[in-house]
Amino acid sequence: MKRRELLTLLGGALVSGAPRWLLAQTPQAPGSRAFDALAARDAWLAGWKTFGRESVGPTAATLEGRWPGSLSGTLYRNGPAWFDRAGVRYQHWFDGDGLMQGWRIGGGRVSHSARMIGTYKFQQEQRSGKFELPAAGTLIENPRTIRNNDDVNTANTAVVRLGKRVFALWEGGSAIEIDPDSLQTRGPVTWRDDLVAAPFSAHPLLERDGSAWNFGSLAFFRGSGLIIWRIEADGRLGRFQVLDTPEPGYLHAFAMTARHLVFMLMPFSLNKVDGAFFQRMQFQTHKPCRVALVPKDALDAPRWFECEFASAYHFGDAFERGDEVVMRVVRHRDAEEARSPMAAAMRGQRGSSTLGTDLASLHLNLRTGAAHWQTHEIMGVEFPTFDERSPGPAHLFTPCTVGKADAPYFNGVASIDVEQGRLRQWRYGARVLVEEHRFVPKPGSSRPGEGWLLGTLLDYERGRSGIALLDAERVEDGPVAMAWVPNTTPLGFHGWFAAS
Amino acid sequence: MKMQLMFPAMLVTALVGAAPLAQAGELTVSITNVRTDKGTLLVSVTNTEAGWNNQEKPVAATKLAATGKDAVVHFTLPAGSYAVQVMHDENDNGKLDTNFMGIPAEGYGFSNNPQVMRKANFSEAKFDIGDAASSIVINLR
Repeated sequence: MKRRELLTLLGGALVSGAPRWLLAQTPQAPGSRAFDALAARDAWLAGWKTFGRESVGPTAATLEGRWPGSLSGTLYRNGPAWFDRAGVRYQHWFDGDGLMQGWRIGGGRVSHSARMIGTYKFQQEQRSGKFELPAAGTLIENPRTIRNNDDVNTANTAVVRLGKRVFALWEGGSAIEIDPDSLQTRGPVTWRDDLVAAPFSAHPLLERDGSAWNFGSLAFFRGSGLIIWRIEADGRLGRFQVLDTPEPGYLHAFAMTARHLVFMLMPFSLNKVDGAFFQRMQFQTHKPCRVALVPKDALDAPRWFECEFASAYHFGDAFERGDEVVMRVVRHRDAEEARSPMAAAMRGQRGSSTLGTDLASLHLNLRTGAAHWQTHEIMGVEFPTFDERSPGPAHLFTPCTVGKADAPYFNGVASIDVEQGRLRQWRYGARVLVEEHRFVPKPGSSRPGEGWLLGTLLDYERGRSGIALLDAERVEDGPVAMAWVPNTTPLGFHGWFAAS
Repeated sequence: MKMQLMFPAMLVTALVGAAPLAQAGELTVSITNVRTDKGTLLVSVTNTEAGWNNQEKPVAATKLAATGKDAVVHFTLPAGSYAVQVMHDENDNGKLDTNFMGIPAEGYGFSNNPQVMRKANFSEAKFDIGDAASSIVINLR
């Protein structure tokens, strides 16, 4: 592990003021007023508007279709939701402060609540009424000095329930514990005294016994390296390992097989100019990605592979077959776009199209040590989920674009049988924004694939947000049930269904 | 390289041993952004690079219980160049707690409030005072 100084993530932003030319170079970064004017004209921009309240709800949802009596629990959702203060608007989608939502399902009713996550940053800036702490993708002028990375933790990326505890997750700091019922913030979690503020990233993966694996990237700080976390089912820290990495690599998520954890590191450098992390970051597309295959029973003994560069945030399932480990990857074809997804929408502009992605499989050959990509000719998908009970290749479920979409975002959901090259889709409509769909096993079922998809929607034509329930094995039939509340909340990133 | 803001044993010694200085003006140090009313604020004043780097005793030091969001301490010092550092020992274990990477878990601050994510160096924290009363504000981070 080579890092020891403090916080590259913040470092650039903390070095006095920004050079003017850098700010001027940012394409048409509008203030809040300009964005609001554009949003008044283009209703789909509701997905990127500031939430503007500390909480709403619970609100009883209007139901459509037939909600199964056996489905009971809460769909938690997290995402950036506060982009504007004192006329200043963030330029990067990832900068917004986290909003935790809870869709409670059961007893023939659905209700919705949402509450801004009470991070240190959010509380301080609520009091002052302005952005005063550094952000990951927007340069804040004359920021306050910070104690550590948790001072800028927005907790805005994902949510997970481990045991009975619910955590809002980011990728550069602590998990933030949330009250499962009230959604009120309990605060950052320290798994062990010497691990305060150590990064606990946004996509932990669970074993069948309820224990979880996760990582934290030390590349956000000066240097390189990975933390590997193992949290036991009772919430105790089980294992902690620091893994040296050959060079700085960015990664947002990882995958795992029954025996291995798989980490794909995208090489990057930080250019020398002042700026926030994602402004300074340059993917080094001419270099290979380094892939660590880490035995779950020997965390200190990774096997390293190299593959042709790809930029990716999210991974699907991974499995072992013969001499190979195979991992599904959502690749962003334009590494520069991947640095700031939906940047045009953040400016109130349409941009070129929906995210330019394709689905690919990365094959790691355990016999030869070689790695290669397999393409699947499936484009424009993101936020993959799958049934974690699947022993081998799983179907992937992703938002997608089907037919005409009036907004540059997903309007449908897909079930992808990668092995057979078969795609089933459902289109919600031209004026509906479609988010991640979680796979929920049907109660009492043990057959992999038997379950529901539970996804969130923003119907901007009718000014409402909702959830949809589909049979995961008949996605093309569309929702069996939906629930709507008569207001919109900004789009988020990831959710978690916690059965009750 | 871990981030070492102070050498606590020397600071504690200084708290016992620092003698009043003659013929001097008063320096008022206002400390803001104290995040918790637990623990103790440790304030040390140095006038040399070596003192700043814990290689010799501070010229003055004091400690006080953290009781609110702000605190004020006074020093009587002859005219000269000084630098002040503050540590908020929230759990009263005599050191600035850090995590395994050396990143601070407790509050700290430096005179001039330099915008650096490391221990400020002496030149960044240095300021001049004359014979008249003077005051500075240190924002704890």
